[in-house]
Amino acid sequence: MFLALKEIRHEKLRYGLIVGMVVLVSYLVFVLSGLAYGLAQQNTQAIATWDAQKIAVTSDANDSLAQSLMTKQTANKVTLTSHEAYIGQAGVVAKAKGQPKLSAQFLGINRDQFIYRKLAVTSGHKPTTARQILVDDSFKTNGYHLGDQVSLGATGGKFKIVGFTHNAKLSVAPVIYGTLRTWRTLSHVTSDFKAGGIVSNRSNFKPKTSDLKTLTMSQFINKLPGYSAQNTTFTFMIAFLMVIAMVVIAVFLYILTMQKLPNYAVLRAQGIPAKVLVTTTISQALILVVGGLVIGAALTVATVLVLPAGLPMSFNVPLLAGVTGGILLTGVLGALIPVRIILHVDPVSVIGG
Amino acid sequence: MPALTLAHVSKQFGHDTNQVTVLKDVNFEAEAGQVSLVIGPSGSGKSTFLTIAGGIQTPTAGEVHVQDQSLQQLAGKARDALRLNKIGFILQAYNLIPYLSVQDQFTLVDRVKPHGNLTAEQLANLLDQLGIANLMKQYPGELSGGQTQRVAIARALYQNPDIILADEPTAALDSDRVKVVGQLLHDLAKQHNKAIVVVTHDLRLQEFADKTYAIMDGRMTLA
Repeated sequence: MFLALKEIRHEKLRYGLIVGMVVLVSYLVFVLSGLAYGLAQQNTQAIATWDAQKIAVTSDANDSLAQSLMTKQTANKVTLTSHEAYIGQAGVVAKAKGQPKLSAQFLGINRDQFIYRKLAVTSGHKPTTARQILVDDSFKTNGYHLGDQVSLGATGGKFKIVGFTHNAKLSVAPVIYGTLRTWRTLSHVTSDFKAGGIVSNRSNFKPKTSDLKTLTMSQFINKLPGYSAQNTTFTFMIAFLMVIAMVVIAVFLYILTMQKLPNYAVLRAQGIPAKVLVTTTISQALILVVGGLVIGAALTVATVLVLPAGLPMSFNVPLLAGVTGGILLTGVLGALIPVRIILHVDPVSVIGG
Repeated sequence: MPALTLAHVSKQFGHDTNQVTVLKDVNFEAEAGQVSLVIGPSGSGKSTFLTIAGGIQTPTAGEVHVQDQSLQQLAGKARDALRLNKIGFILQAYNLIPYLSVQDQFTLVDRVKPHGNLTAEQLANLLDQLGIANLMKQYPGELSGGQTQRVAIARALYQNPDIILADEPTAALDSDRVKVVGQLLHDLAKQHNKAIVVVTHDLRLQEFADKTYAIMDGRMTLA
């Protein structure tokens, strides 16, 4: 550690450049991780608030609630307990006078079932009539207010915003909670259709009818349009960045080690154990990577503070710990590459003549 | 007992038709309190002699003893430890670590060898004797050639070795400075009871030596 710190202090520019590279890579990884997590959350935030375990959709809906139309006949085959709730999903465009149009997901629910009971209101109250809706907070940030009359498409008339709720997004669109009757109107289906599907907070929920297909919530989430593709893309980007980080750190340390070989040869000639030199190289890599990570994290925090509120960026501790640990590990792996050269440094090379 | 003994040492490099014998049946002894000079031209085998004497290379044949310890019987780490504790090197180039101040060159020795080094008082006296007491905060790149050489000598002596092996310590020095370094090595041997072995092609150092060996084409003779 002594040699590592002394050298870094003496060669500020050289090591500053390496730290700069680590800062850029870690900053990029942090921001991408935040975006990936934020986007993933905006796909599923509403679902998470239900605390549900299973969802049943019609067998022909290709695992999509938006495509699922459950007839009363099918619904009657399933006995619902207090752990189940009917739900219907429809994509809508919300518009109020003087406010911007917002693409949203309408979710029709029953007031006497558990999803309704779980809804947390940040202002106003839960809807109590068919003409009332509860909307995601992002409506508020887009200028909507309590009491605004909102149209949800060409049919159905106006609906009054009576409450706002937090973290209600589905497929990266704000959610509007209303009644199943409104859902039927927006979906252009008759009263022969009960709902889109059934959500349950029981892990053993399984309707005994072939008309319905039961999915776990993670299966359902993975089938959300674009969700898996988006996560896979981000995962690959982050993984490639980590590999790049490793290559960059390894190349820099390799070059620096090669430049230091005469010094190391002198130290070896003087009897300094190879272990000291290896420890120096690894601790130097750790100092550089940790320094880069700290500055990268600080830059990320600064970026989050100045980014527009609507940008889907979010962080959680396990994800950040994983990414940080990954970069740290790649840094150490990069530092291990020149170790073999250090172990074989030849003290004879500095005794000339 | 001699501080350093080489008995019938030979060193060959390569194989078959490419084989080169660099040292041929070399016998050498260095005593504590004496300066032993090994003089020879470039390519005579001086450096190979020094690396074998310091335990950095092993001989093809023969024995090397540091006091009563045979170097051939020591494994790599034990040989490192012996170099750290008993042998100080003064090298002609890259002798000091460029990113360590003069003070830190000594601190590094303390880090890897916490015991048996010179005390603070002994170091202060040595630095005074060498005329470099005011250079402790300087980096090697800020020192003149002569100052670098004297710091390197102090660095080698700091770990309080019994044997000092010096490789061309007067390379690139003018005659006045050669006399200063020669006298210094002589005084160090006498005052600190060190066995100092100097390999050089600089005949001007002869007047400061207690014993002079000549080396030519790998054969060593006592001059």
